Amino acid sequence: MIEIDHVSQTFQTSGRQNHLALSDISLTIEDGAFVSILGPSGCGKSTLLYIVGGFVNPTQGLAKVKGRAITGPGPDRGPVFQEFALFPWKSVLGNVMYGPRQQGVRPAEAEAQSRALIEMVGLKGFEDFYPKELSGGMKQRVALARTLAYHPVVLLMDEPFGALDAHTRTRLQNDLLNIWERDRKTVLFVTHSVEEAVFLSDKVVMLTRAPGRIRQIVDIDLPRPRRRTELLLDPRYQKYLVDIERMFDDADENELPP
Amino acid sequence: MISARAVLARATPVLACLGLLAVWQATSLVLNNDSFPTAIEAIRAIPLILGDKEALINILASLRRMAIGFGVAVAMSIPLGLMMGRSRTVASFFNPLLMVIYPVPKAALMPIIMLWLGVGDIAKTLVIFLGVSLPVIYHSFAGAKAVEEKMLWSGAAMGLSAAQRMTRIVLPAALPEILTGCRTGLVLALITMITSEMIARQSGAGNILFNALDMGQYDTVFAMIIIVGAMGIGLDALFEKMRARLVKWSEPQFDIPVSFS
Amino acid sequence: MNARAFTTDVVFGVVPIALVVAIWQALVSFGYAPVTLLPPPGLVFDRLAQQLMTGTFQQEIAATLFRLFAGFAIAVVLGVTIGLAAAASPAVNAVVRPLVRVLAPLPKVALYPALLLLLGFGHESKITLVAADALFPILLSTFYGASMVEQKLIWSAMAAGTPRREILFKVVLPAAMPSILTGCRIGLVISCIVVFLAEMITSTDGLGHLLVTAARTFQAVDMFVPLITISLLGLILNGALEALRAFLLRGFPEV
Repeated sequence: MIEIDHVSQTFQTSGRQNHLALSDISLTIEDGAFVSILGPSGCGKSTLLYIVGGFVNPTQGLAKVKGRAITGPGPDRGPVFQEFALFPWKSVLGNVMYGPRQQGVRPAEAEAQSRALIEMVGLKGFEDFYPKELSGGMKQRVALARTLAYHPVVLLMDEPFGALDAHTRTRLQNDLLNIWERDRKTVLFVTHSVEEAVFLSDKVVMLTRAPGRIRQIVDIDLPRPRRRTELLLDPRYQKYLVDIERMFDDADENELPP
Repeated sequence: MISARAVLARATPVLACLGLLAVWQATSLVLNNDSFPTAIEAIRAIPLILGDKEALINILASLRRMAIGFGVAVAMSIPLGLMMGRSRTVASFFNPLLMVIYPVPKAALMPIIMLWLGVGDIAKTLVIFLGVSLPVIYHSFAGAKAVEEKMLWSGAAMGLSAAQRMTRIVLPAALPEILTGCRTGLVLALITMITSEMIARQSGAGNILFNALDMGQYDTVFAMIIIVGAMGIGLDALFEKMRARLVKWSEPQFDIPVSFS
Repeated sequence: MNARAFTTDVVFGVVPIALVVAIWQALVSFGYAPVTLLPPPGLVFDRLAQQLMTGTFQQEIAATLFRLFAGFAIAVVLGVTIGLAAAASPAVNAVVRPLVRVLAPLPKVALYPALLLLLGFGHESKITLVAADALFPILLSTFYGASMVEQKLIWSAMAAGTPRREILFKVVLPAAMPSILTGCRIGLVISCIVVFLAEMITSTDGLGHLLVTAARTFQAVDMFVPLITISLLGLILNGALEALRAFLLRGFPEV
């Protein structure tokens, strides 16, 4: 349902030089799939996400959602950023209500929907708090609720748990999967953690270092719902981790550092 | 090698000046008011002013008062501000006092100071001194306060005494902020100078302005405005050059912007 | 802010003012300054209290305040509008930037004689001068604040369905508020100063005019009264703006 067709991205850096971030990426993502984009820093994985989000226009190639070309951002593709990007001047409730209100939903209705969402992400009681009063994990929950509030068809997640400590990260991964199970949206999840990619996804798209190309696409055939305590001892899970790590090791040996 | 972009960057302020003058010219022609001479008429009056010995003496007196007031203020305010920045006791002593004085327009103290010190140079220079001191103290204070503790610990470990740490670590580290304060001070010095001369007429550029106004020499009034404006722009540009050279190692400062840099 | 911090602030704020008054009183009592030049604080504050009751003094305050507010309001409206426009549009930026670079270091008070010629000796010339002086810090703060808005905030709003033309008001303006309000505070202080000075230079009414009139007749007490009044007004207005700032920025982390 998401089609990425020979997309390349070149940036002009401050030194007037051209930096090729992505090179000829072609990819199809099916409805309802949880797909991770995995790669080392600087491989252009976030850029690919931004292209699908419509925040960046590809220098070459085309990206489509449900057959229509992507020309800009829209509520069908909802982002969740690593930096949270919550509106500091709005409370938790205000942030979550923003999307529905933009869609023209009446205030009372928007508030009711938002409160339900806030409860679903585990922040009941914090509706009137401001982002500055929340921990990192809580902020990310608000960010997720805010995006879910306008019912996007695709969730675009840019290393959303990268700024959090390990414990919070694990909790949020589990919570994310629980929430996702409810309506199985299409998810594009950018990460540099092999373990996170395998744990969460149906498919892992591995990118090379810049210029980013698709190194390999790995289908993750593990049963859902996924429990880390069970998977850690599961040989199939372990094999996926090892295989992917090995591919990166081989690449490191053969390629120059960034 | 001068790039086209650099040339354009230099040219735009000049273009802006020309643009403003053009708008002035057009407006004055449209309004056709005796009290509003055209830009060209005003510009023509400039050499007359600069050629007139009396006027020249006035203008130089203004500049001299400004220089003395600014210089003494900076010399005294930077050390005070630095000490306030590093010592909580010094800060809590002076800070509230300064906060009270801040909103008082220093040039408004002119009549009171005139009452005490007469209408001469000292009164005007004192007012300039007061006007410049406050922003310089404040920025020196802020700059000194922001110096990382760990830099000073390193200095102490290297054997620097407290006074040496002040001059060799705090002062250079706070320099960008201090220079921002000096720039504000410079702007204030110019403003205070003109205003004090408009209030206590007797000598100076402000005096020329109002004399011309009283005598109906409108060309002179506007010509003088251009001269004062040029002084302001020129001094600011000079200061900017000096500042950029002194602190080219620092990151861009955006605190309370005084102008586009 | 908790009660203890507030009390400490108030104590620290009041003590030096009390100190100044004490030194003032001491200077007078010990005869270091002749009463004609430096009247005792008691006399001045008495006079101030007395004047505050009179209609004429209240009218003078009203005149000054009117010009102050009018000039400040114009500066805020123009400054924020132009600042936002310059941040949003490179074309506007290209025009505004050089103009500001040229006009900002120019002492606007030098324009005052021209304003008097063009607008007369009444309210308009003073309001214009106040606006011209207060404009630049507000414009610059707005511009910098708006330019620094986090890109991802804008993207989040766009993804939520905000059309491009609304981004300026729904995201950039609120996000730039801390910066804008800082500029406004500076603009307010400048407005207080400029209105007073303009009235001192030429005026028929207002607090500045009162000071100059008293100076001409060597009435020291009557000189101090308007000076202290404008200082108090400045402090009160500043406090009000701070309160507004605290309210508007209650969600923002302390900067």
